[in-house]
Amino acid sequence: MNIPFDQFLIQTINGIVTGMILAMVASGLTLIFGIMDVVNFAHGELFMLGAYVGVLTLAATGNFWIALIAATLAIAVLGAVIYLTTLRPLIGRDPLTTILATFGVSLVLQNYALWQFGPVARKIEEPITGHFSLFYLEYPYYRLAIAVLAVAIIGGLWLFLKHGTYGIWIRATTQDRVMAQAMGIPVPWVLTAVFAIGAGMAAASGVLFGPLVGVNSQMGTSWVLRAFIVVVVGGMGSISGSIAAAIFISLLEAYASLWVSPAQAVIVSFVVLILTLLFRPTGLFVPTPK
Amino acid sequence: MSRRRFFVYWVGFAVIVALLAVAPLVLPEFWRRFLTEILIWGLLAMSSDILIGYTGMVSFGHSAFFGLGMYGAAAALLGSSPPNLWLALLYGLASAAAVAAFVAYFSTRLRDIYFAITTLIFSQIFYVVIFTSTAWTGGENGLNFSRPRFAIPYLFSLRFTPAVLHWFVLAIVALSYLLLRRITHSPFGMVLQSIRENEARTRAIGYAVERYKIVAVMLSGVFAGLAGVLYALQNQFAAPDFVFFVVSGEVVIYNVVGGIGTLVGPVVGAAFFLLLREAFSRFFTEFYLIPLGVIFIAIVIFMPRGLLGFARRWLNG
Amino acid sequence: MSVAEAAPAAPSVAPTVEGEPLLRVAGIHTYYGKSHILDGVSLTVGRAEIVGLLGRNGVGKSTTLKAIAGIVHPRSGAIAFDGQPVAGLAPHTVARLGIAYVPEERRIFPYLTVLENLRTGLDRRGVSKARKAALLDKAYAYFPRLAERRAQFGGTLSGGEQQMLAIARAMMLEPKVILLDEPTEGLMPSMVSQIAQIVGALSREGVAVLLVEQNVPLTLEACRRVYFIEKGVVRHHALAAELSLDHSAIHQYLGV
Repeated sequence: MNIPFDQFLIQTINGIVTGMILAMVASGLTLIFGIMDVVNFAHGELFMLGAYVGVLTLAATGNFWIALIAATLAIAVLGAVIYLTTLRPLIGRDPLTTILATFGVSLVLQNYALWQFGPVARKIEEPITGHFSLFYLEYPYYRLAIAVLAVAIIGGLWLFLKHGTYGIWIRATTQDRVMAQAMGIPVPWVLTAVFAIGAGMAAASGVLFGPLVGVNSQMGTSWVLRAFIVVVVGGMGSISGSIAAAIFISLLEAYASLWVSPAQAVIVSFVVLILTLLFRPTGLFVPTPK
Repeated sequence: MSRRRFFVYWVGFAVIVALLAVAPLVLPEFWRRFLTEILIWGLLAMSSDILIGYTGMVSFGHSAFFGLGMYGAAAALLGSSPPNLWLALLYGLASAAAVAAFVAYFSTRLRDIYFAITTLIFSQIFYVVIFTSTAWTGGENGLNFSRPRFAIPYLFSLRFTPAVLHWFVLAIVALSYLLLRRITHSPFGMVLQSIRENEARTRAIGYAVERYKIVAVMLSGVFAGLAGVLYALQNQFAAPDFVFFVVSGEVVIYNVVGGIGTLVGPVVGAAFFLLLREAFSRFFTEFYLIPLGVIFIAIVIFMPRGLLGFARRWLNG
Repeated sequence: MSVAEAAPAAPSVAPTVEGEPLLRVAGIHTYYGKSHILDGVSLTVGRAEIVGLLGRNGVGKSTTLKAIAGIVHPRSGAIAFDGQPVAGLAPHTVARLGIAYVPEERRIFPYLTVLENLRTGLDRRGVSKARKAALLDKAYAYFPRLAERRAQFGGTLSGGEQQMLAIARAMMLEPKVILLDEPTEGLMPSMVSQIAQIVGALSREGVAVLLVEQNVPLTLEACRRVYFIEKGVVRHHALAAELSLDHSAIHQYLGV
């Protein structure tokens, strides 16, 4: 089958835009996994609740950017509460118990959202309107803005981790939790903060993505699955690996949807995951372990 | 097992089966149906216990085996005229076994979280395939079909009244339990438990761990498929919702709530969970999952051995 | 009647330096699962004193250090530091009170640079910029190799360099006592004598050291007092000056 170049290009841009959102969700997830061996099944629900807080704040203030910040902060606090109440008691137990506990959290949050906000999807207005012509399409500027903002947020995270005391604390805790604490780093506090940061990033992604799809209580489910795939393919715990994998997988899905329906295109990422697990279980985008 | 405990065990088993057998005669239709469903979900949870409790592998993909059993039965019931029970069983078990073999071949190379995620993703693949193959599976709407007769040629032929169906399900679940119990106590079951305790050592003594794991996943998958066939018979439909990973998650919940590595625990967990769901759904309407989720989290945190383990410890003082 | 109690050196031991010791461990018991690791260990370390802990492998020397550092929590017994009870406190609280821990495996953060490794202990509240610079300068003066490699990942250092980094990292906490677990294990002889000098230098600066070592001559040379541990109990202690390599206690508890 012959695919015209213009469609190919459009799908490339689409793939990168969703890839950046996915990278934001996945880098929070991988940060949490890397530092505390927690597989956060509720990550998609934090994404969804972030979008809802965005909807509410936007309705109250009329300002998208305030909504973005409010959602990030509110869900970061929620993340800290979830960590302290359900995950902290599980420290030292099998990491699989964290999947179970966060699965329970996701049930609660999803149904809470359904109860509070009802089944009808809410809308977030695009903060940036306007289009530019891309072949036969009117391509919205906002989509490009998403990609730019996502790069900025991930870049900010990277700078935060790379420089400054808190970044050193977080990386030291990831590498050797006991020794970090013996060096006077307040590890329990660091773990809570990292969970809050991951939650906040999921919320920010939810608000940014909201204008493209409409907000409903189910929207987190597909994201958490895709984020899992990205985290494993990228190499669990590696943020740069997650970002690369997010873009790689989103591009593959975007190209696949040139031939099959978007629902079936998801299978491409599943296959990538399974091949990765079979042939390179440490991740596609990390250096070969010695 | 001492003679006395042996005796107590079998008397207890007989009493429980007898109570369950009498139930449809005394219970109103709603509760009869509820009990049959508990038995079916209990069988599904029990099948998953082979992996979670006995081999130490948490499957998040049991919905795939369950769903394939269901769709296999559906294919047989829609494809044969008049619908044939034994063909439905055969098709359902064969498709669940085929899927289980496929999943087992790949997923058993991985451990712990990676095994859990792989089984989850495999089940999602089957979900997407079933959901999008509208021509064969009815897509989102699923398939409807009629119940076959409970018949053995030249011997008898019964209509599946609610009570007969209940007894049929009870018989299959009870036999499955006895079979699985026998298997977990067999040398094969001992190897599985040794894999759970220490995989490296089991390999070092010379067992082909991978092969044992593959067989364990297939065994578990076939019994999950059996539960799927029973569910199809009970409800006369097959739908993609039952292949969705949330069903797998609930199966894990039943195991954890009831107590893993006991076979009975998962059934208790299913009963407990479904009863709570029933009770809560009257108070909280469709938001019953909120209190249910909270209870589940509390059990994960405070009762790592589940209700059964908790009760056992409490009874033993 | 054990040899310990009959040992000739025992009566003449001066148990501590003057006054209340810096660190007092009184009858601590720890368990790992069901096995009893420490069965009532008691010891003291004075200010700026170098104290050795000798014993065969697996008798509970490392666990004693971990218990003091707060990594292992004793089920009973007391630990007092600077007159304040510290048993049961979180490791990071213990560290900030002035107890630094250098574990046997060194446990350098492999993907932090040398400088970042040092900053894990340096970036504390209430330490001025000038003070931080001074502490770093001092560490680099002790270990010039670390200055050369400050931008390199900890995991790329050699064993000896990692040991230097582990000690320097502990110094960043400005501790009153350093718990040093087998610092010379696997090091070249030239490095071993350097470690001994550093332990001495720390003491002259007022830092006490509780040293666990397999190297008996080094321990006797570096320490003022020595405790002998066997099966989770302190069996004997003596002034290092009164012990020699052929002393009966050394034969009995170390089997050399």
